[in-house]
Amino acid sequence: MATQTSTATGTKSAVLVSTDWVAQHLNDQAVRMVEVDVDTKAYGEGHVPNAVGWAWDTQLCDTVRRDIIPKAKFEQLMADSGISNATPVILYGDNNNWFAAWAFWQLKVYGHQDVRLMDGGRKKWIAEGRELSTEVPKPSRASYKAQEPDASIRAFLAEVMKASSARSAQLVDVRSPQEFSGEILAPPGLPETCQRGGHIPGAANIPWGKACNDDGTFKSAEELRALYGGAGITGQQPVIAYCRIGERSSHTWFVLKHLLGYPNVKNYDGSWTEWGNLVAAPVEKS
Amino acid sequence: MPKPEDYSERTTQLAGWPIHIVTYRLGTTYYTTIDNTDPGAWVVKAQGATKEAAESQALKDAQALLEKVKTSKPPTGCTSVPGF
Repeated sequence: MATQTSTATGTKSAVLVSTDWVAQHLNDQAVRMVEVDVDTKAYGEGHVPNAVGWAWDTQLCDTVRRDIIPKAKFEQLMADSGISNATPVILYGDNNNWFAAWAFWQLKVYGHQDVRLMDGGRKKWIAEGRELSTEVPKPSRASYKAQEPDASIRAFLAEVMKASSARSAQLVDVRSPQEFSGEILAPPGLPETCQRGGHIPGAANIPWGKACNDDGTFKSAEELRALYGGAGITGQQPVIAYCRIGERSSHTWFVLKHLLGYPNVKNYDGSWTEWGNLVAAPVEKS
Repeated sequence: MPKPEDYSERTTQLAGWPIHIVTYRLGTTYYTTIDNTDPGAWVVKAQGATKEAAESQALKDAQALLEKVKTSKPPTGCTSVPGF
């Protein structure tokens, strides 16, 4: 699948497509566009023509226990969306692809081979004045078989505790400086979902948005390397990214793993809503 | 198929927090979204027949939400009794 011009990373073209590329493939039956938003009503107001919509809060998580979508439901979601194991999937969404990146991460957890983000997401598509449709496509059901979850890209609490205490991995807190310092418990305007503010001891604070340009696209490889390298995150050691509930850190995981090509990067989706509610867990404030 | 028009975005302050306002028109309806700039989370949305109407409603709703942001205080839990 031909996509946008490659960059110095050598990997960017394999995981990103431009809005131009998407506009040229709106009726391409060989690929499937999927919109995943923070605001789950946005899709209904208008979306990229022929894109299906996934709701992160009901379709991309276990609705009983706190977890990612179970394997069987993931297979059903993919099949119902007309996605086979060989289908290239183009994800995009609002907030500079927050939950699109969350979906990307889950597709990789279950081993989907060809998945990419539309660079700039929904914001760039709208800012460019491109067509929006309210028609919900009804793709033909496909057959899908997921792989067993890839534990190499997901961190659980025990591993994060070890990373913090033994410095066995570098922790990257991608929340805002006010959340990191403990000044606030959640982003302004959003529900507080933890009992304590602060951050995991040893974490570096590199807010996710620093990886983006004003138009929502990702910064160049050189800029990204300088951003993370400047904080000592060079890929020489394992990295674990976290935020509040795991979606912003999916965005940073995507950058480190797929744009910069760091070999060992995990997303801690338990994030601060898990750590900040633990009894007797160490907390740093600064 | 409709295309978004009259797209605008700007950053300002509301209730002490920086906010980012995006408005566009789709057909005859204006859509406004306000996010909290950093980290950039969507806070409120509103629609209106004019840009002013959509933004005015969104700003009003955002102000109500942002005024509730607590700083440096843990939640009081399941009681509202002072001291607990």
